Amino acid sequence: MLSQLVTRVVSIAVFVAAWQVTSMLIPPRYVPGPATTFAKLIEFAGSGALLGNLATTMIRLLGGFAVALLVGVAVGSAMGLYRRAEGALDLWVMVCLTIPSLVYIIIAFLWLGLTELGAIAAIAWTTFPAITVNVWSGVKAIDQGLIDMARVFRASRAVRGFAVILPQILPYVMGASRYGFGIAWKVTVFVELMGRSDGVGYQLNYSFQIFDMPGVFAWTLFFVAIMITIELGILKPLERHLFRWRPELRA
Amino acid sequence: MTAVSLAEIRKAFPDQEGTDEVLVFDGLSLSVRDREFVCLLGESGCGKSTLLNMVGGLDRDFSGHLALEGNAGPDSVKTDPRIGYVFQEHRLLPWLSVYDNLKFVLRTGGIPSDLWSSSISLWLDRVGLWEFRNAYPHQLSGGMRQRVSIARAFVIDPDILLMDEPFSGLDEFTGRQMREELLQLWRQSQKTVLFVTHNCFEACYLADRILILGNRPARVTDEVPVDIPRDYESEELFERSVGLTRKVLGTGLGRLRGQS
Ligand SMILES: Nc1ncnc2c1ncn2[C@@H]1O[C@H](COP(=O)(O)OP(=O)(O)O)[C@@H](O)[C@H]1O
Ligand SMILES: [Mg+2]
Repeated sequence: MLSQLVTRVVSIAVFVAAWQVTSMLIPPRYVPGPATTFAKLIEFAGSGALLGNLATTMIRLLGGFAVALLVGVAVGSAMGLYRRAEGALDLWVMVCLTIPSLVYIIIAFLWLGLTELGAIAAIAWTTFPAITVNVWSGVKAIDQGLIDMARVFRASRAVRGFAVILPQILPYVMGASRYGFGIAWKVTVFVELMGRSDGVGYQLNYSFQIFDMPGVFAWTLFFVAIMITIELGILKPLERHLFRWRPELRA
Repeated sequence: MTAVSLAEIRKAFPDQEGTDEVLVFDGLSLSVRDREFVCLLGESGCGKSTLLNMVGGLDRDFSGHLALEGNAGPDSVKTDPRIGYVFQEHRLLPWLSVYDNLKFVLRTGGIPSDLWSSSISLWLDRVGLWEFRNAYPHQLSGGMRQRVSIARAFVIDPDILLMDEPFSGLDEFTGRQMREELLQLWRQSQKTVLFVTHNCFEACYLADRILILGNRPARVTDEVPVDIPRDYESEELFERSVGLTRKVLGTGLGRLRGQS
């Protein structure tokens, strides 16, 4: 555990050092150094832009993600449980997975206008196919043997559902969520670039327009730091705790 | 008193294409007496698990007569007999500790909660796993998992114990030890046991009576009472099992030679 932490710290230090060296060899309008980037970050923070834009982006991200999770779990469960649903939908899920997110964004904005609703729809639409596929495979992997065991030992239908089937599906829903969240935040900045006038994506685009490379670096660094914090600080520990009975997570 | 009786059982599965059906049993009859240890011996695919699933209530799609009696005595209120089942795979809930796996079946079996902790400690102690009560199934060896699964079947104080090749997934040394342990548990609790196996030696060692399942569709082709002491060292056990193997081979179960 400790040596893992040391490895991580060392790898970050090496990265920052390499960044520093690169920035000294290449003009700052192409590669601004760590110091320049942090100065920019502090400047953004001072103006209040940092947290304001982050909040806007997070609300869209979470809204779109929540819708995607709801639809994905519903469709994925139906596909895993009923052969009919699987036969009818598997092709379309594949199609949805293949369509580039740009297409969803364009369609959502054309249908719903350059609105908050359009943004959330685009994020949800891009994210739900991946969640669906994960939940689908999870529900298909339900162990009938455990359900039979519960029946022999007289478990009621409700107990079988909540205490035997649900715990089997939950790890897949959790895995699907983490995966879906990763997709959702990438697409959110893109959506903001395309059709909103605030949020981290919009600010990135603005920095691009005025060719403010330190700005681009600062926004990217900030957003990545937030996402990694959520991933490592909340999602992963939660998963480890919930599924500590799973041998593969202990490895 | 009869604990399990089946008469004129007919059971069919739809075949692969779903157009026709495969007859597993047609006119099968057998019975198990109260507190008797009966081994059901037959080659793979002859219908042993199907039979056990029918007795256990997992498969109700058959015709014929099936009756189970509780151990409670002749004039007590008739309730569904309680069934303890040991599957070939352990089928423990992987997200529950050993202790909680036993608690799960006590709860679903409707056993009063003030008895739970004493029953669990009794049976975990008897299978030698009390120290491992907080472990998750994946932290145990194959033999230990199967011991938990056996404790789970006993802990609800079942009227009938059904066992479907519980030791066939274990190595021979562990299997031997666990057969001995099972007999000890059985002597302590005096349960009615219907034990499925394709291993002649195992059947001779464990059973009061062996029912050989053969033919297709399957029925009881032979019945062999076993009246020798249950002792691995005994010459007689070895001879009996060789004799039994011949008998089984004689009924056309050629593949058994490779299995036992
Ligand atoms: N769910 C099922 N659907 C169709 N056929 C089945 C099913 N379960 C078992 N069978 C068939 O019934 C026969 C008996 O199976 P089984 O009871 O598992 O045998 P055993 O336990 O003796 O090895 C086999 O031929 C098997 O192919
Ligand atoms: Mg079987």
